[in-house]
Amino acid sequence: MSEHSVIHDIGYQRYTGPRLGRAYAARSLFEHGVRVAFGLGRSAKAKIFPWIVIGLVTSLAVIVVAVKAQSGEMILTYQDLPSTASVLVMVFLAVVAPELVSRDLRNQTLPLYFSRPIRRSDYALAKLAALTTAVWLLMAGPQLLMFLGSAFSAADTAGVAAEARGMLGGWVIATCYALVFSSLAILIASIASRRAFAAGAIVVVFMITSPVVGLLAVLGKGGALSQIAPMFSPFSLPEGVRSWLFDTSIPIGPYGPLYGLMTVLLVAGCTLLLLLRYRKVSL
Amino acid sequence: MNMTIAWITARGLLGRRRSWLLLPMPLILIGITAIGLGFDAPAVDLADGVLIGLGVAVILPLVSLIVGTGVLGSEIDDGTVVHILTKPIPRSRIILAKLAVAATVSAVTTAVPMFVAAAMVGGVKLGLGFALACAAGAVVYSALFLALSVLTRRPVLLGLLYVVIWEGLLSNVVMGTRTVSVQHYVIEFASELSGSTLFTATVSLGVAAAMAVVLTVAGTWLATQRLRSFSVAGETS
Repeated sequence: MSEHSVIHDIGYQRYTGPRLGRAYAARSLFEHGVRVAFGLGRSAKAKIFPWIVIGLVTSLAVIVVAVKAQSGEMILTYQDLPSTASVLVMVFLAVVAPELVSRDLRNQTLPLYFSRPIRRSDYALAKLAALTTAVWLLMAGPQLLMFLGSAFSAADTAGVAAEARGMLGGWVIATCYALVFSSLAILIASIASRRAFAAGAIVVVFMITSPVVGLLAVLGKGGALSQIAPMFSPFSLPEGVRSWLFDTSIPIGPYGPLYGLMTVLLVAGCTLLLLLRYRKVSL
Repeated sequence: MNMTIAWITARGLLGRRRSWLLLPMPLILIGITAIGLGFDAPAVDLADGVLIGLGVAVILPLVSLIVGTGVLGSEIDDGTVVHILTKPIPRSRIILAKLAVAATVSAVTTAVPMFVAAAMVGGVKLGLGFALACAAGAVVYSALFLALSVLTRRPVLLGLLYVVIWEGLLSNVVMGTRTVSVQHYVIEFASELSGSTLFTATVSLGVAAAMAVVLTVAGTWLATQRLRSFSVAGETS
């Protein structure tokens, strides 16, 4: 112990710069979520599964463009693409949704997030928005590819404009799919802390409903039951909306607005449950 | 086969709250069959849409996937597999014990509701046919998914790709893939055992039986081999 104890100034300073706050933190979380969905900035292992699915959906679009260039026939319209790819999109959800939320639960990193200036609802909504964006890109990207392929082989500007309108219609349907699929999937994944189990649960919920709807549609014999039944599966609900908006898909009779309402209710209900889940989450 | 390992595995599998989430699937199968019968649906539609479309194509592979990858996969995830690996037990016995538990649990959870549902549709003979076929299918699936859980770090996703894309999408388009699709063996077994004319099988009995045995043995052997040189690592990527 020396005679004269002194406190040395070793250069600690207060931070006086701008504090970026809640909106910035939420935006960063969203951006990070979209990157995680595609495995960007992660190891090659994390890229395998998302890019297998992206490759398969893109190859669908490439086949459509190739057939159109050869024979001039469009084997799959812009609006058909989401329903044709819907099973692949479900696999994408099973890969990405647990990656987004289950890891944070399992590794108990939530306290780190919530010690920043974001609210619990910001976290949940940022994750949902990231998944919705990723799923939308998964469908809209190949649709854009189809547009580019068709636009270059179109005869005149009117042809290109018609293709552009077709693509925008396809994007509307893709948005509908993205909202329904991701709100349901992220809710399921947010309950399971183990990634493997979350993936299984998502696929179970999605796949168990299709045969049920198929049977009900057969039982209805084209009557009211057959027109309402598709509402109860996430695979066929967006198709009902498509019939309502564009009249190009499954027969739904006069129940179009009901499909629109059901979609809104499902998305809103899942989002609400997700917010409640993170209100109660154990840290 | 080691009874202690089998017992611990069974307890780890059934003692958790989440294992009860497997229950709704069999209940939905029986419930939908009852609704279908209530609406006087023709037996052909029920056999094709519910028994095969829901039971054989969805519930059987997904239950087997969750259970089959869970018996060893969850221990690998937790790192508790080290405790088993450091004991002087032959690897083949560990794998056999895990396989026995996985196959039994999957077989019971799928065969019992399939028996009830199929018996409601077409009598006891159809019920027994479907129940036995599902039990056989559960063994094959369990061996495959158990092997996956030792071979890769992401067994559930690979299993999903197999079930959803290979069996679900490809085997309806490319006929050749049906010879390597467990789903079609189960349909063939059910058709052969029940002698029912409600549905048609797509592969021959010889191919189905031989491939089922080959896949089961190959899965078990691969899992044993891989567990011999297994390196334990934390959750990565």
